[in-house]
Amino acid sequence: MRELKFLAAVWKANLLSSMEFRGPFVTQVVMMMLNNAFYFVFWVIFFDRFENIRGWQLSDMFVLFGVAASAFGLGVMLFGNIASLSEIIANGRLDYYLSLPRPVLLHVLASRSIPSGLGDFTYGIISFAISGHFTWGGLGRFFVSVILAAVVFVSFMTIVHSLTFWLGNASGFSMVAWNAVITFALYPISLFDNPAKLVLFTLIPAALIGAVPVEVVRAFTWQALGQLALGTAVLFGLALLVFYRGLRRYESGSAIQVEV
Amino acid sequence: MKKYWSIFKTQLLNNLAYPGEMFWRSLAIVIFMWIFSSLWRVTYAVTDVETSIGLPLNSIMWYFMLAEVIELGKPRLANAISAAVKDGSIAYLLNKPFNFLLYHFSAGIGDSLVRALMLAGFGTLTVWAIAGPPPPWTGWLMALPVVLLAWSIHFCFNAMIGLLAFVTEEVAPFEWIYQKFVQVMGGLFIPLDLFPAWLRTFANALPFAYIVYGPARLFVQPDPARFAALLGIQAGWLAVLALILYFVYQRSVQRLAINGG
Repeated sequence: MRELKFLAAVWKANLLSSMEFRGPFVTQVVMMMLNNAFYFVFWVIFFDRFENIRGWQLSDMFVLFGVAASAFGLGVMLFGNIASLSEIIANGRLDYYLSLPRPVLLHVLASRSIPSGLGDFTYGIISFAISGHFTWGGLGRFFVSVILAAVVFVSFMTIVHSLTFWLGNASGFSMVAWNAVITFALYPISLFDNPAKLVLFTLIPAALIGAVPVEVVRAFTWQALGQLALGTAVLFGLALLVFYRGLRRYESGSAIQVEV
Repeated sequence: MKKYWSIFKTQLLNNLAYPGEMFWRSLAIVIFMWIFSSLWRVTYAVTDVETSIGLPLNSIMWYFMLAEVIELGKPRLANAISAAVKDGSIAYLLNKPFNFLLYHFSAGIGDSLVRALMLAGFGTLTVWAIAGPPPPWTGWLMALPVVLLAWSIHFCFNAMIGLLAFVTEEVAPFEWIYQKFVQVMGGLFIPLDLFPAWLRTFANALPFAYIVYGPARLFVQPDPARFAALLGIQAGWLAVLALILYFVYQRSVQRLAINGG
């Protein structure tokens, strides 16, 4: 409860700070929504030509984009430093967070918000609303799936960034992992063969950000929800384990850092 | 010209000094090729796409390989230019004995060449392994000049986006939108041959088709007539866009206000 209050205070501060530059904030949100819409034109053209690929149609792609965009948007909006955790570790900027009486990982991740995430989040809701799969029950499942998928995304990237504690600077590797998990999440899972699916459920858990949440939303089964919840719990636990194990190895040059 | 050649060489060497960084960035093409091969393998298996596009699966994969090399390897200068405008460091570049735009162009091409070579290396290995041998050597030979022209056209757009920093604080969103135009209307995700007729006509009338689709299609079906036509169209677009860029730059510099420093 105490940590939730703390998080709420940090998020409020982030929002107020973004609103200081209202013009750029609104521009980023609106342009990100347009950006996603332009990207989706590809699938409109594709399904206009081919209609059905292994059971997936355009309406399913709307739901897939809805869940994945909202989950990604929620993740970077609330935990914006997930984009730069390896640089923070490598540059010794964890010193600031270590000196404060709050959980280090939670604090460092929530200390920044990426405004365009709100554009992704909103776009995802619109994409689901116009998908043809919309029901009020589905909307509830949509939000549950988005929250779980956002936790999967943030946990996975935390694990990858935490490799910096052992490798020195894993920012290049993190960028590849970031691109991989987002790109794979945005494609129908039925395209991939079994070995590839195994990778997408484990090493690059894109299926837990795209395909499984989509199943929960459009054809709910307790099995799908259980699969998503279990995957989320495992990745979340792993993220905590890897980050705090790595933190024991953390060293810095006591450089003077200013966190604004 | 000598000074721009030196800038180009310096940037080339700079990139070679950090091969690790370059290695990780280049791995992205392996991911994209894997995804494209999954998508198009299934599409080829369950539809008549091969007849309508006139290319076998092997060729379409090599099309995507070059398209990704162009896209991932292209010069990325909008942020550098906008940062120089915002922090005032543009003032230090403007009074140097070289043209600001040509300086960025030389540096950008130096960046792109190294990145593209590594991307092409990874891309070739991946596509060869999953789809078979590459197009004939004439395809590679014809691709080189048209890829350079494609990057030059892209540079004009990118520099104009960077110069937007004179009028707006945040230029990144404009780059996102431009990038999506190149990716969708340029044929990065799906070749223009598969567009509905009206959209294909529209896309062909825009310069984006000659940044990605034109070079990649020529690469897999090298043909002297197609090569000459593409060179002509690219040169035309480059002339028009370079002229617009020149005027935008002149207007932008007139707006420049430096306060001390």
